[in-house]
Amino acid sequence: MENAINEILHATRGRILESDIVTGKNRELYVHLEEKDFETVINFLSEHNFELAGLFCAEDFDGHEGHMLFYAFEKKGNEWITIFTLPLRMKRAMSIALTYPSASWYQREITDGFGVTFAESFDERRLFLHETYPEDFHPLQKTFKNKEIKLDAETNPSLAYEFKKVSGEGVYEIPVGPVHAGIIEPGHFRFSVIGETIYNLEIRMFYKHRGIEKLAEGKTPAECVKIAESISGDETVANAVAYCTAVEKISGIEVPLRAEHLRTAYLEMERIYSLLGDLAGMCIDVAFPVGASPFFVLREEVLRQNKALTGSRFMKDTIAIGGLKKDAPKGTLDALQAFLDDLRDGLKDAVSDVLASTSTIDRFQTTGVVRKELIAPLHITGPIARASGTLTDTRIDHPYGLYDKIRPAPRIFEAGDVLARFETKASEVLDCARMIDEAVTGLRHGEILTKGDIKDGYAIAPIESARGQSMHWAYIKNGLIDRYKIRTASFCNWQAIEHAVIGNIVPDFPLINKSMNLSYAGTDL
Amino acid sequence: MQDVLTNIFSKKVTEDFRYKDEELEELGIHLKKEINTIFGRSLAIRELDSGSDNATEIELNNLGTPHYDVERFGITFVASPRHADVIAITGAVTHNMANAVRKTYDAAPNPKFVIAIGDDACDGGIYKGTYAVLGGADKILPVDIKIPGNPPEPKDIIKGLLALMKGIREQKK
Repeated sequence: MENAINEILHATRGRILESDIVTGKNRELYVHLEEKDFETVINFLSEHNFELAGLFCAEDFDGHEGHMLFYAFEKKGNEWITIFTLPLRMKRAMSIALTYPSASWYQREITDGFGVTFAESFDERRLFLHETYPEDFHPLQKTFKNKEIKLDAETNPSLAYEFKKVSGEGVYEIPVGPVHAGIIEPGHFRFSVIGETIYNLEIRMFYKHRGIEKLAEGKTPAECVKIAESISGDETVANAVAYCTAVEKISGIEVPLRAEHLRTAYLEMERIYSLLGDLAGMCIDVAFPVGASPFFVLREEVLRQNKALTGSRFMKDTIAIGGLKKDAPKGTLDALQAFLDDLRDGLKDAVSDVLASTSTIDRFQTTGVVRKELIAPLHITGPIARASGTLTDTRIDHPYGLYDKIRPAPRIFEAGDVLARFETKASEVLDCARMIDEAVTGLRHGEILTKGDIKDGYAIAPIESARGQSMHWAYIKNGLIDRYKIRTASFCNWQAIEHAVIGNIVPDFPLINKSMNLSYAGTDL
Repeated sequence: MQDVLTNIFSKKVTEDFRYKDEELEELGIHLKKEINTIFGRSLAIRELDSGSDNATEIELNNLGTPHYDVERFGITFVASPRHADVIAITGAVTHNMANAVRKTYDAAPNPKFVIAIGDDACDGGIYKGTYAVLGGADKILPVDIKIPGNPPEPKDIIKGLLALMKGIREQKK
């Protein structure tokens, strides 16, 4: 902790005093910031390679009336997360999007939710509120009580969303979505194309905005586990564990050892089935269903193991605050270990078959490159970052649960193309299988749930989902959730696609998209 | 002729598939019969996600994978609503998707049927009565059958399709 504090004091050159720093409940530091120092401090942080990992707003936080902004930063090599808090007098702040490009979406999100505006931001279009919502509607304000609202089918033309226009000889646009041709989630892609080559892509999301953060407000912490599970179906365990970790840290609840072990196994099972789906999907998108089938078979087997362990193929209704809702039935863990051997063999065969197909390599290689320089500025995490030569993994950077004992050993690939992502994901499946083995080997019987009283307070919980780093921040007031902020890996990683497709041909877009397999639901919330 | 016979009786190139599920086979054969009589051999489904958590999409995708392979039973997932007999809608209907949902439904030719898959599509689920959603699929489309579950498993979806066939046959009478 002292290191973390010293790092902040050193970077901010006297603008921050040690007395401005408060220690949080989960290896997090809260640093009080004044508006007059704001811009200088942000510039200092940028110079010292602090990476923006989240930016969110809360109203009437911890005795402070009005709005407060939270800027969460990570620094490589430091397990502590630093959160700068900026109280706002008016509902206005300076934009930091020119220094931290990933801030643009966050700022637009805050403007939609709270009506807080940002001076000098280069993009002021609405984000999760589409044209159907009236202009002065800000659902996350405390004055708005969550209820059904009636909206006109006719929308006000002045609220229409304007895509970036690219003009010039031979440039044409291809609009795609929100409803796509396959069985996938909705989102809109606007391509500006010259011939076959993509010159610009703008992604418009949030068609699935379901008001998850507002939904959590005023609920008991236990009721919100189900909400966390609904953020993204294939990240059920990751999001539930992150949310529960935040509440456990706030309340000082220790999770029993057996539950920690099982949580680790479930987290990795979830990662495996998600990655297997990606591997299959990439083969499908280059018209190679024979290559995809073994991955699909393995994924189905994993889902069946999940069902045997937890009663749900997606392991829903399993994680609880303080541990687990239910124990794994007798014999299922032995069966799981036996299955892991089959999985490893099956995966190795399937991967070598795909990599032996020259036409597949031809489509994978040099396609959809994510350049390494983009990783930090856009806060790209997960397998995408690891396929672009960057070692970033929340399980290593901010170990939670058992990850300081059962350590992941991700392989890093340099090329940043679809092939590198394929290889990264394939190698991670094997790594996950090893960790599950370690987590359940010789596991003793014991308690799976600690019942503890919920206390008021706040904490941040980072987690490595199959797609990368997600952040959950919960604030409990009078025993109820007052603010629940979720920032999934997909929210940041979507912007990687906008960059990765440039210079590629349009028919490669589905492949590039699939190689990243981002969650629409987890972004739209 | 000899080549043909050799081909039939020789060892197959593909591996044996060891995941046979009797219940699934029975359901599938039953469904195929129904589809043959009512739709003339094939049932075209257009999937429409109006705000799901994506688990239902994964299960729908799984219907096409080797364990299930429902194309054997006459079911195809089509790329356009123009080709669809059935709109399969998942998730509560969000305000942001409402317009696209209406357009997709309108683009499908008559006669058409709507199935709501998953708890949220059935009645709005945990989002019922909140600002961002209209509610379940029936707030905006005429739903013929609801398949509850969080998410429903592939076999539940096949059973739901069987129930739809039964409903259509009774309507016809």
